[in-house]
Amino acid sequence: MQEKVEAQPILSMNSVEVLYDNVMLAIKGVSIQVPKGEMIALLGSNGAGKSTTLKAISGLLKAERGRVSRGEIKFEGTDITEMLAQTRVEMGICHVIEGRRVFEHLTPDENLTAAAPMGMSRSELNVEKEKIYNYFPRLAERRNSLSGYLSGGEQQMLAIGRALVTQPKLLMLDEPSLGLAPFLVAEIFGILQKINQEDGMSVLLVEQNALAALEIVSQGYLIENGRVVMHGTAEALKSNSDIQEFYLGGGEGTDFHNVKHYSRRKRWLS
Amino acid sequence: MDWIFLSELAINGALTGLLYSLFAIGLVLIYKASSVPNLAQGGLTMVGAYVVLALSHDAGLPLWLAIPLAAVIMFGLGFGIERVALRRLAGRPVVMILMLTLGLDIFLRGTTLAIWGGTSRSMELGVSYEPLFMGDIFISRIHLVGAGVAIGLFVAFMLFFRSRTGIKLRAIADDYMASWSVGISVERGVGLSWALASVVAVAAGVIWGEIQGVDQALSLLLLKGLTVAVLGGLDSILGAVVAGIILGIVENVGSDFLDPLVGGGSRELIVAAVLILTVMIRPHGLFGRHDIERV
Repeated sequence: MQEKVEAQPILSMNSVEVLYDNVMLAIKGVSIQVPKGEMIALLGSNGAGKSTTLKAISGLLKAERGRVSRGEIKFEGTDITEMLAQTRVEMGICHVIEGRRVFEHLTPDENLTAAAPMGMSRSELNVEKEKIYNYFPRLAERRNSLSGYLSGGEQQMLAIGRALVTQPKLLMLDEPSLGLAPFLVAEIFGILQKINQEDGMSVLLVEQNALAALEIVSQGYLIENGRVVMHGTAEALKSNSDIQEFYLGGGEGTDFHNVKHYSRRKRWLS
Repeated sequence: MDWIFLSELAINGALTGLLYSLFAIGLVLIYKASSVPNLAQGGLTMVGAYVVLALSHDAGLPLWLAIPLAAVIMFGLGFGIERVALRRLAGRPVVMILMLTLGLDIFLRGTTLAIWGGTSRSMELGVSYEPLFMGDIFISRIHLVGAGVAIGLFVAFMLFFRSRTGIKLRAIADDYMASWSVGISVERGVGLSWALASVVAVAAGVIWGEIQGVDQALSLLLLKGLTVAVLGGLDSILGAVVAGIILGIVENVGSDFLDPLVGGGSRELIVAAVLILTVMIRPHGLFGRHDIERV
């Protein structure tokens, strides 16, 4: 573990600002680093700028008329700030976007095929598919039904599997636990951890469910109002009293706690 | 009731319908890969016919060379349209893209008028006008050729949409954002669908140009083609073929009954009625995809 931390980060983001429509500043100088082979969490509440941060890294900002107006993003030492989303996928960055967004009118099998890089041969693709079906046996069972009719958990698994076909070195996930039952969240997070450990894939995880996320990551960043307000190891964050109070619900993690503290937290930040 | 006459009407109707399908396949291709109904398909078909004429009659190439060459040129034109016009609009509301294709249709019509004028020219494919006899039934040869081309393209595209590239195009139609997120080039995919639709336009332009002459009226095929595509379900190639046959038969047989009653011109009425009723009763057509809503 020790040498991993000291290695050159696979991704580094330095004081990045993002503008939407040339006017709205969505993130204001975010700097984060993902060390190679580690799992990092990006925590924070709704609208804090977590998704925008991921889109800046994957290049999907452009589709929403956003752009990086300041700062730089480096992937394995290369500046990728202005690259096309497609080039970044080829380089090894894959973004599992929020809300699952599987190709509903395609079967799971076709979803995986659609994501395969053009250079991948048929036999390589089949090996890759089998690997993904091994991670997610539920998908294998339903590989030829229409993806739009899969359950929420299955769709999330498919979205992750689809990203894995691109053979990423850095996998980014936006709220994979959203709307899923706790046992499914545990299952999916367990698989993410397994992929991270077995393949050495670096993972950047955006989560509102801080409790679950901090169980599997090594470090976390806390983003509020478009800025990084806290950064530390998962252990340190878990024991931090502010985090406990505002994001972990006093350690009990019920939603009602979060709701109750919402207005208080806003005052504390401003 | 004269059964022989009725079956002649039905068979020729079905063949004409397959020619509508030939046109509609181009519409379906673009819809299947980008979820945009292409109102410029009529214009493309007309341009396709003019390009063939320019290569064969004006430049003196034989038809067997002129038609494939025109297909290549139109393939490039399809890609060009995406690059110049559509790329800027990717991800914008469909209605804006719809207006763009309408503008494109008018532009193409104006361009051919400026270059080649408005006089109707003949294609001269060399297919005999002697009807074929099937028992007592007359069948037009050119319709038979066109129907064969339609079925050939249908088979080719059914296979294409199962290939890896075809699956990527279907993925694009489903979700642009998700496609970008896994590295699918949405721009290139949409460009490819326009390029293929432009090639289909050459086929439709040649056949229809032979039947009704090459002039700006070719672009009006859009109305029937769109009716067929909507009835079949805008994203289904099988739908386009089946709906073409249905519309052709209904139109041919129906107008034979109605024309004496209303004094002619009931064909257009029947086509319009089919379009309106489809949208009202079964908006996703016979084979079109439903929007999936899980409970």
